[in-house]
Amino acid sequence: MNARTALRIAVAFLSVTLAVVAVTTLDSCGTGRDHRVRLTIWHQDRIDIRVILQRQLDRFMQLHPEVRVEQLFKETEELRSGFIIAALAGQGPEIVYGPADQVGPFEIMKIILPLEEVFPKDWLAQFDPRGLTWYKGHLYQVADKLGNHLTLVYNKKLVPVPPRTDEELIRIGKTLTADLNGDGKTDRYGLTWNYTEPFFFIPFMTGFGGWIMDDAGNPTLNSRGTVDGLKFIKRLRDEEKIIPNEADYNVADILFKDGNAGMIVNGDWSWAGYQKAGLDIGVAPLPLITSTGLWCAPMVSPKGFSLNANISEEKKAWALELIRFLMSAENQMESARELYTMPTHMQVQQSDFVQQNDILRNSRIQIDRGRSLPVVPELRAIWDAMRPSYQAVLAGTMTPERAAEEMQLLALRRIKEMNE
Amino acid sequence: MVRRKNTTTLRITASYVVLMVFSLVALYPVWQIFNISLRPSDRLLSTSLELIPANASFGNYSALFTERPFLLWMLNSTFIALTVTLTGVALASTCGYAFSRYSFIGKKIGLLSLLVTQMFPATMLLLPMYIMLVQLHLVNSYLGIVIMYSATALPFCIWQMKGYYDTIPTSLEEAGKIDGCNEFQTFVRIIFPLAAPALVITALFSFMSAWTEYVVAAQILQDTELWTLPLGLKSFESNMGSEWGLYGAASVIVTIPVVVLFLSLSRWLVSGLTLGSVKE
Amino acid sequence: MQSQTLRHRIYLFILVAPAFVVLFGVVIYPFFYNIVLSLSNMNLRHIRDWRIIGFGQYIKVFTEPSQPDFYVVFLKTVIWTVVNLFFHVVLGVFLALVLNQKEIRGKAIFRAILVLPWAVPQLIVALTWRGMFNYEYGSINLMLTQWFNIPGVQWLRHPLEAFIAVIITNVWLGFPFMMVIALGALQSIPHDLYEASDIDGASWYHKLRHITLPLIRPVMVPAITLGTIWTFNNLNIVWLVSNAGEPSDQTHLLVSFVYKAAFNFYRYGYGAALSMVIFFILLVFSLTFMRKSKATQNVYS
Repeated sequence: MNARTALRIAVAFLSVTLAVVAVTTLDSCGTGRDHRVRLTIWHQDRIDIRVILQRQLDRFMQLHPEVRVEQLFKETEELRSGFIIAALAGQGPEIVYGPADQVGPFEIMKIILPLEEVFPKDWLAQFDPRGLTWYKGHLYQVADKLGNHLTLVYNKKLVPVPPRTDEELIRIGKTLTADLNGDGKTDRYGLTWNYTEPFFFIPFMTGFGGWIMDDAGNPTLNSRGTVDGLKFIKRLRDEEKIIPNEADYNVADILFKDGNAGMIVNGDWSWAGYQKAGLDIGVAPLPLITSTGLWCAPMVSPKGFSLNANISEEKKAWALELIRFLMSAENQMESARELYTMPTHMQVQQSDFVQQNDILRNSRIQIDRGRSLPVVPELRAIWDAMRPSYQAVLAGTMTPERAAEEMQLLALRRIKEMNE
Repeated sequence: MVRRKNTTTLRITASYVVLMVFSLVALYPVWQIFNISLRPSDRLLSTSLELIPANASFGNYSALFTERPFLLWMLNSTFIALTVTLTGVALASTCGYAFSRYSFIGKKIGLLSLLVTQMFPATMLLLPMYIMLVQLHLVNSYLGIVIMYSATALPFCIWQMKGYYDTIPTSLEEAGKIDGCNEFQTFVRIIFPLAAPALVITALFSFMSAWTEYVVAAQILQDTELWTLPLGLKSFESNMGSEWGLYGAASVIVTIPVVVLFLSLSRWLVSGLTLGSVKE
Repeated sequence: MQSQTLRHRIYLFILVAPAFVVLFGVVIYPFFYNIVLSLSNMNLRHIRDWRIIGFGQYIKVFTEPSQPDFYVVFLKTVIWTVVNLFFHVVLGVFLALVLNQKEIRGKAIFRAILVLPWAVPQLIVALTWRGMFNYEYGSINLMLTQWFNIPGVQWLRHPLEAFIAVIITNVWLGFPFMMVIALGALQSIPHDLYEASDIDGASWYHKLRHITLPLIRPVMVPAITLGTIWTFNNLNIVWLVSNAGEPSDQTHLLVSFVYKAAFNFYRYGYGAALSMVIFFILLVFSLTFMRKSKATQNVYS
């Protein structure tokens, strides 16, 4: 080993490193040349919404050539954790878009800005108040869409007239459920939905008079509503046999798409996809529970824009301009027409299209009957507490009464852990 | 002798049966993904055992290239993965050699500390890692991601190289010394070529760590022009309403370079040109 | 002579330093950050104003009642790791031995097919496996009932079956990696050793036990050690196949707790403490395993 060889190795390593650095800096030059103000929106929307958003962003950039806006899709959980990490490090997108429940944790962490001062009062007055999310006395999110709600979706070929009540649901379900090829197994069911997520249980719970928390944010899971809701589902499966034995989101989805289920409990996000798959679908409000006289009420949530607390003053002005642009009647109308999303702009809500379109009309009825998604961070604890017992009841390993108790106890413990 | 021939035939037949069975097992789920890619309107699952879906089409494949920047993701990923592979091979082959052949202060600690870096659940490292990269201005840069990926791949690669060098007799270096080579020359000319199988594994592993990684990329690369394949693929999946057809098609395409790389490197992974011939 | 040792030191330094600079540049800061966090009360309510509170979070890790129970999940994680590693290594080495026979034709095709589970993107393949385990429509049950006349198994509705299902999926995903390592390792064995023992009339078992296994050990031991560490912390497959813990949060590994604590409940201090506990478990394992397997030593020394 002599010094020359050592030198040669050192040079070799250095050049490899330099090459890497060179290529990388070269690469970032492309973006470095752009002197426009850069805004980024993070959202968690599926592709058809992304396409429309891009169209709207392109129009905005045409109006304002000095701004460049980029949208970035992140999956729900990742959007939340990724935004928290980035914002705590003093970074992150200027605008974050999503359902209202992210406002709770973001406010507590002080990573989003209050908006009531930055938007004019008369501008805010144009929107459905349900689309403006206030928390602890401040406005933190302005929404352009209302919904994210479950409804009864039915295949018109199999179900000409949708059920209005639980009894009609069971009656129609029974005529649909059949063993078509005679192998002793049911091939077609009346109804299906995702059994694994408690979000899909909410309408049954509310139909029997239950709800997840009181106004102070304390869980109210150990209730008659929970128990009866669970019993009702068990009845549908084990006695009436109109729903499949086992179904998660994808299984339920494929059953409905293939015509092996006449009806599905699914949200507003699913409608356009079913139409694209060639199904002639109808949307109906979830049925009335005759014994209680209550409608099955899903959770309803606005989806809207919040501002990152790290935003610079220069970008803030542009970000507000952009939000106002995206919230405009014209842009909300575009989404409503193509995606059947419920607008928050009153003028658009009153428009002929929204009033008369069959899907939107029923969606509207469902939204008005729905319950607002709580904004508090404790909601996470509630979902997590409901999931195991809900699944256990459906697996037949727990009684509904016991499940309601367990849900409540676990929710209390989780909330205590979160807030210590 | 006849008995011997019989047992050989039996052994070979049994081997083929084993290979067939495992090939079927390996292939079936992958075939399902191919199946998904051929199905129209995003059906992740199917309720039958059909091997080719009804109304199959290659529409998803063409959509990848015409409607999505799939080619860009592919180029980005290729660039990053190859850079990580080069870095991994260069650093691990030298470092592993030192660990195998020389004794020095801190050798055991060094080897152990390599393992230590792998023991921490990645979930908790995201926040500090991101804070650090922000301080170093490495967010949204390929340099940042290449460093992260190299650091992820290196511990295994170094250990693996060291393990392989360990199986090469030290007598070979002594022979080299007698022939008048210096330490570095013996390493490069004699030992390095003999370690070809280990270099192949190192290269494959480094490539795969970069080719498939998602979590770190999602946190670091927040500019769609820099996106890699895993980020692109993930954009087909949204909470409710994923584009499974595109996801399937992209998955099939993403798999091909890995298999091709593996096959082309296999020549050195299983070549007869190794220790057997030299040690004699 | 002195310059000789100095040069030697420089040489060694150049060999070792670059890798370690990259590695520790990346790892050290997050590592110490975590130690600090694990001693702090950082959570939803104290995200910016957190302070050091001592070992409270560690005590919570071991004593706080959890759903499912911490110790049960720990046991499951150990079983998960051991069973997976066992099958990865046994199947991997076995297939490598089968493929390494010189009489086999079409090796390239078999190799290409057998490496597929490693090459294919994990998310979609995990969800495909989940679909295959569906009670009514999954292909596994359809095959069982149609071809073998065995009643279908309710894979995802009962804890044991669900646990078996996630293990099957991960075994499928993991054996090709070990196979590739073993294929490489087999090349380091000199042919003449086999020829010599053939002349002695040794059985295949004797050759496996006394030639093959000892000689692939140096290459396999690092792969097994790291494979264990990765499998112990592999959240993805369990999470995807069991759909975040089905049935009823029974299918979890210890890392699921870390993930849920940090990302669902914003309990960063607790998550960091739990990470440290996992870290120490793996550290103790690695130290023991390495001492037992003499991994740091050279075979020929």
